[in-house]
Amino acid sequence: MADEAALKALFLKGLAGDEAATRAFLTDAAALLRAFFRARLRGRTEDAEDLVQETLVALHTRRESYDPNYPLTAWLYAIARYRLIDFLRRAKHRNHAPLDGVDVGEPDPDYEASDAKRDVATLLDKLPEKQRTAIRMVKLEEKSVKETAEATGLSESDIKISIHRGLKTLMRLMGQEQPT
Amino acid sequence: MKTDDLINALSRGVEPAERPRWRMNLAITLVAGLIVAGALVAIGLGVRPDIGTARMPIMMKSMFAALAAAVILPIAVQLMKPGRPLGWRIGAVVLFVGVCAVATITALMGEMPEQRWQAWMGGEGRAPWCVVLIPILAVPAAALLTWFMRAFAPTRITLTGAAIGALSGGVSAMAYAMYCPTDSVAFVTTWYTLAIAVCAALGALVGSRFLRW
Repeated sequence: MADEAALKALFLKGLAGDEAATRAFLTDAAALLRAFFRARLRGRTEDAEDLVQETLVALHTRRESYDPNYPLTAWLYAIARYRLIDFLRRAKHRNHAPLDGVDVGEPDPDYEASDAKRDVATLLDKLPEKQRTAIRMVKLEEKSVKETAEATGLSESDIKISIHRGLKTLMRLMGQEQPT
Repeated sequence: MKTDDLINALSRGVEPAERPRWRMNLAITLVAGLIVAGALVAIGLGVRPDIGTARMPIMMKSMFAALAAAVILPIAVQLMKPGRPLGWRIGAVVLFVGVCAVATITALMGEMPEQRWQAWMGGEGRAPWCVVLIPILAVPAAALLTWFMRAFAPTRITLTGAAIGALSGGVSAMAYAMYCPTDSVAFVTTWYTLAIAVCAALGALVGSRFLRW
């Protein structure tokens, strides 16, 4: 697993607009987050994976909030802890028997739970149309910003802004959604 | 959607991140909060009638409030971004409150024993209304600061709420000094400080509601 220095190098490259570095950073971050959330939500691997995805979007949409004078992992875990507290607060408002203290055994280490409970793709439908189209075309259908702009008749900067806003909205929706 | 797909979607076609110009925005936010508080004092309370001759004490009180805000500011700035320790910045606030306590006691000791109570309470038949008025005047500044803060990523939101409250309390006290008729040192070091603390407590209470992201 990546250490602080390697992770920070990847992240800073990503900040400068490097796609491969961004992907590598998010992949490493996902592994760290998965361990972090699973250790704190014993056995609830799907909830943990929901939180991993939610936190990845948070890390990405708020990436400019990192201060390079401090460790990157401190930033990453501060956001992870915040998402966890927010999740637990949300869970408290839901009415069902708490699982706290119930020992359901160790999570299966081989179980690759990248299947989260909620489906981010379906959340996309709740976005305003412009944001939804921009994210769908650029992020999912692998079209370039330019192609998307031509296809929709919007300007390129409009597309970029729509993607950025859309991702932030998406993270908020992930937080508001009430997983059962 | 699998996590790997999400990662691919997020990183695809990523652009260089923008560096937000927070210093300028924060300065504008604070000045705007001060102007609104000043306007509220002028319209709602009225400046004190002897403002012509009382320039010095008004300046001193405003400076005191500005100093309080300046002591809080590093904490608020630190809380804007996740994963930054507070460290000495908390110590500075403790030191400030300690100096205020010493100044209050020293000033009161200098008074005649039978006048101490009045000097502390702001004179014959007066009550330290600033404890109520400063938090009310701080509301616009607090709203502006919350709006500013939401563009960043505060993760300790109760503490951030307290810092926003205290900072806006300091700003509002600067404006309140134009109205405040009492100039004794012990009065200001006690009640202005307490008023700002009330702002901090209120900020901590409501902060988490408005700062969630």
